[in-house]
Formats: sequence, structure tokens, C-alpha cells
Amino acid sequence: MHQLKLAAAITALLTASPALAQEIVVWDVNVDSPSHATYYDSAKAAFEAAHPGATLTFLSQPDGEYYTLLGTALASKTGPDVIWANGGAQAKALVGGLIPLDDKLPDLIAKLVGTSAFTASDGKLYFIPTTLQGHVVYYNKRLYENAGLDPEAPPTTWAEVTSMCDAIKAKGEAACFMMANKEGYEAEFFLSEMANQSLTAQQQADWLAGKLHWSDPPIKAILQTWVDTAKDGWYQEGGNSQTMFMDEFTLFSQGVGANVWGLLSNVAHWKVFEEDMGVENVGVYPMPSPTVAADQHEGAPGVPLDGGVGYGVNKDSPNPDLAIDAVRILASGDVLAHLVNDSGVVPANTDVDTTGIDSPGLKQIMGWLATRAVPTTHANSSAAELDEWHRQSQILLNGETTVDEAAAALDKVQAQAKPQ
Amino acid sequence: MNSASNTPPSRRARSRRHKARRAEARTGLLFLAPALLLVIVFRIFPLGWGFLISLTDATSTDPGSFIGAGNYLRALDDPNFRASIANAVVILLSVPAFVTIPLLLAILIDQGVPGRTFFRSVYFLPTVLSSVIIGSIFSVVLGFRGSFNAMLQLLGLPAVDWLGQSATALPVTLAIQSWSTFGMGVLIFLAGLSTVSRDTVEAARLEGARMWQIWWHVIIPQLRPIIEFSVVITTIGLLTSMFGLIYVLTAGGPGTATTVPEYLIWIAQGRLNMPAYAAALSMILFCITGVLAFLQIRMMSRNTNV
Repeated sequence: MHQLKLAAAITALLTASPALAQEIVVWDVNVDSPSHATYYDSAKAAFEAAHPGATLTFLSQPDGEYYTLLGTALASKTGPDVIWANGGAQAKALVGGLIPLDDKLPDLIAKLVGTSAFTASDGKLYFIPTTLQGHVVYYNKRLYENAGLDPEAPPTTWAEVTSMCDAIKAKGEAACFMMANKEGYEAEFFLSEMANQSLTAQQQADWLAGKLHWSDPPIKAILQTWVDTAKDGWYQEGGNSQTMFMDEFTLFSQGVGANVWGLLSNVAHWKVFEEDMGVENVGVYPMPSPTVAADQHEGAPGVPLDGGVGYGVNKDSPNPDLAIDAVRILASGDVLAHLVNDSGVVPANTDVDTTGIDSPGLKQIMGWLATRAVPTTHANSSAAELDEWHRQSQILLNGETTVDEAAAALDKVQAQAKPQ
Repeated sequence: MNSASNTPPSRRARSRRHKARRAEARTGLLFLAPALLLVIVFRIFPLGWGFLISLTDATSTDPGSFIGAGNYLRALDDPNFRASIANAVVILLSVPAFVTIPLLLAILIDQGVPGRTFFRSVYFLPTVLSSVIIGSIFSVVLGFRGSFNAMLQLLGLPAVDWLGQSATALPVTLAIQSWSTFGMGVLIFLAGLSTVSRDTVEAARLEGARMWQIWWHVIIPQLRPIIEFSVVITTIGLLTSMFGLIYVLTAGGPGTATTVPEYLIWIAQGRLNMPAYAAALSMILFCITGVLAFLQIRMMSRNTNV
């Protein structure tokens, strides 16, 4: 009898231990990044001051295998309390295991930009974005000048992009645009960059809903541009065996290409290039499209923009209220300010003051965000479509398939991923 | 003595023998239990669990519902899976090369070529490197801006995007896989060669047989079990352990040029959040590997019996 009581007591203790310990575990791929250290430290300090006896623990996860590990952990009910994720398809694939946050943090949500990347098809918000992510073109002013171009007047129309590339090619010092499509990510960026001005707002909405297909003229035109720009010699050779995050942006900083499709936050963004190349050598502009949709403006291309990364709460967390408060703190203006200052992310919380940051690139980007934001087309694609687009983009680049065949293959995947 | 008086002791003896056999079986089972338990818990149970998952539409956050053979039918209709199977066939066709190269090198070392100790060490060296390191090294060497193309250009030859063209990506990947694993094959064949009867070799030599005749008619037949063993483990290894190299070297591309079934399984599980489909692909790969291994082992045992 005594043994039975002892066993029951141990079982009860083990079951209750997570709640008693009140440890909130966060999985994140940036924990080991020095530029994120102050952000995590300040979030931890704020959380533990607000909840005496509770602790906030950040566990570093490998970037490449993160979603595999997370998916396995969630399936086996061993996931963390707070989950980091990229906006778009990856985040939306996880929502079945998360708590909707709309009615939990209404005051914070009212101050956020970029929530659509974390809003599921049921209309609920499952992650709180901390950063904004988007796509602009960074260019090397020295290479522009060497090619006889005005380094302070980047292209604003497709015709100007074409003549800029002609000048860069004629000079022969560098490729016009960098191309690194070994993993297919360049093709993802390209899709959003070309769609930003060539799709109407309705077409963007139709794309998200799966009603606009890859074989429909506006999207097929983007595939054709992918092929045509390669044929026109815009890119350096060997693009299909070049890695993006490992090599492409380093090579751009070294002057291998005059332009690169870059990001707003985390990596390959204004701060990285300004530090590597010098503020005076880096310019930024929104990418024009070959065609301009009826509700877009010639000469004023949009910036594909949405939530970059965010934090969600595991529905199996033993301490959901604490986990929700940890998310609130991670996305709060004063804590997030450390991340903006140290790593140069563009914040999703409009409470964060960026006026003190002395960067011409960031000032331009912040100016565009208010007036030129358009949906990030690739983030509104399903994971299966993007995976197939990786493959098709590579064989399109090699001339091993046609635009029609690629669009048909992608339509088939889209129909499975977004059944109508 | 009549038969009636004989029966009870005989029964008792049989009963004693029966009990002894049962006790022996129990003891044997006891010794086997830890290993059996490990196999059941870590092999049989996950296999059965994986099969059950493959019959659902589960995701990482949703147990899903029963869809029968839906995932298997989807696999048959999946052009990427069909391409990965076609790549697996190409890879299987390269098995003879994967076995022959280390065999020939082992023969050379066994013949006592000058510097054989050095070669034995050098050949084995790549085996201790992880596939990720090997992939990284060759990504740099064989990249379009890599040292191999630089060398070609010095010789006046054009640069080639070895890893970015469908025509070259898989053969190059296989060549690198061969380079990274042949050391183990050499070691296995050298071990096999050390067991070859020197008397038979000497007898053949005294009979006037030439070197190649000695190898073909005397040594190779004695090495047959080693060669067959090598074929089996090479086949299984090529079908199930190229993920690391492909992940780093080509990411399965361009297109599906280097996509193998195990790489597609990883994509279905990790990138597409489709663990049930990944489980179905895993079961198919398991069946293919199992059938091939079974056929090869049957062939080996038949040859041994002959």
C-alpha cells in the first residue's frame, strides 16, 4: 500500500513538474547569433522580473533541419512552449499545433505590421511577428559608376533595368544580377520581385486562395521573364550550383555582381551590406516588373513585404499563459529595439523607434514601407508549390524544360496543395 | 523384460529430455531477450507504426484520418518520386563499378606494388570523413568558380557547371560517393585476399598459369563470398546513405537530377509537413531495399551451396 502511494506521489510530481518549475522553453535558430544576444538577454530579464520563480530558456536549433525537428517534436508532444518560425508557408503549416493569439494579445496586435504571413486560412493569428521581411534590390554603386551609370539614380522602370544591365554587361566587370539557385531560393525571391508590380491586388488575393494558376498569363509571364533574363546574360554562370545564404551575398559584397535581390531583415539586408561594402557604396531600390498592373504605378514599384519571423505558443504547453506572456515580451517595443539596433532587422512593432539609426538604406526602406507595401507572393504560395518551383526554376534556367511544361507541372502541385 | 515394464522408464526419460530441452530453450530465450527487445522496440515497432501512419493523412500537428492506400497511389502519380526511382536504378547500375574499383586496387596492393602501405592508408582516408565534409569540399572544388574548372581553363578547356547541369550532376555525385567509400571496400577485399590459400596459387603457378589466369580461375573464385557480401552492402548503402552527400552537394537538383528516394522522404517530412506521405515513401523504399537484399542473399546462399 505504501509502495502504491509512493508511486502515485512520484507520478503526480512528474506530471506536475513542468507547471511547478514554470520554465518556458523557446526554440529559435538565432540563439547563437552574437547580434541577437542582447535581445534575448533583455527578454529573459523582463520575463523573469514579471514572473518571479519562472524562467525563460532559449534553446538553439539548427537552421537547416529546424522544421523537421520541430514537426517531429510537435507530433510526439515534446515541442517547446514557444515556437519561432518564418512567416508564410512554414508558419501556416504549424498552426494545428498552436494557440490562436487574436484575443490573447489584442493591444500588442493593434501595433503590428505584417501579420498576414502568420494568419491561417481560418482567419486567426497564430504567431506574433517580431520582424518584417521583404524584398528590395541592393546595388553596388562603384560598379554602376564604372559602367557609366549614375550611382545615385537606380532604375525605377523595367526599361531602365534593362539598359542598366546592358551597361553592366558592356563593361564586363561583373554580372548584372547575382544568381544562386542551388536550393531554389533565388527563384522564390524572383517570383515575389516580379509579381510586386505586375499583379493587381485582386490577383494577389486570388494567388493566395489558389484561384490564380501558374499557367495563367500573369504568372506564366514571370516564368518567361526568368528564362528571358537568363538568356539575356543577366546572371553569372553556374547559378544552379551556387548557394544563396552561404555564398551569394558574400560574392555580391566582393563585387561579383552589380545587383542582388536581398532582404529587409535578419540576413542579406541593408546593415550587412553597408558594413561589408561601406555605406557610401551600397544603394537600394524596389524592383520594377516587365508589366505594370492596372492598380500599380509605373516608376514606383512596390516592396513585397510581410511578417518575417514570429513566435507562437504550443497548444500542448503546460504553462500556456506564461508562454503567451513570453511572446508578448519578445515582441514588445522596448525589448525589440535591442534587436533592431544590434542586427538591423526591420521591426514589425510600430512602437519601435528607428529614427536614431543612421543609415540611408534603412531610411529609404522605412519610407517605402508606409506607401508601397505589396504582398510577398512566394510567402503566399504553399510549401509544395515552392518546392516544385525550386525544381522547375533550375531546369528552366538550364533550358531543360519549357515554360508551358513547367507551368503545367506547377499547376498540378497547386491543385493538390490548394484544392478548390 | 516385457514391454510393459520398459514403458514407464522410457516415458520418464522422454519427459526428462523434454524438460531439459524446454529449460535450455528458456535459457536461450533469456540470453536472446535483450537483443530481441531492442529489435522489437527500435526496429519492428517503429516499422509497424510507420506503416500505420502511411495509411493516414497525418501532419506534424494533426493525427489525420485513415485514407487507405491514398499515399501509395499518390506516390505512383508523383513525377518526382518516379524520377527518384529512376535515379535509384542508375545508382544501382553503378554497383559493379563500386565493387570492381576497390577489388582491383586491393589486388594491386596485394601484389606488393611499391609504397603499398602508403596507398593502403591513403585509400582509407576518405572513409573517415563525414559525407557533409566531403560534400562541402567537392562543392568548392567542382563549383563553377572552383579549382577544377580553373585547372581546365588553364589547359584551354571550357569550364563546366558540373553540379548544376542535369547531365553531369548524378555521375559526378556517384564518382564522389565512390571516392569516399572505396577505401572500406579495399580493406574488405584485402582481408579476403589474406584468406586465399597460397598453396592453390602456388600449384597454379607451377602448372604454368599466367598471372591473369591465376586471378581469374584461382583467386577470384575463392573471393566470391567477399565479392557477394560487398555487392549486398554496397547496394543497401547506395540506396539508403547518400542523403548527406546529396544534401550538401546538389540539394537534389538541378530539377530532380540527383533526387533519390531518401532525399524526397526528407522533403516530404521536413519541408512539406507531410509525415504520412513520407512514411509511405519510406515503406516503398524499405520494400525495394528488402527485395534486393533478399534476392542477393538468396543468390549468395545458392552459390555457396553449389
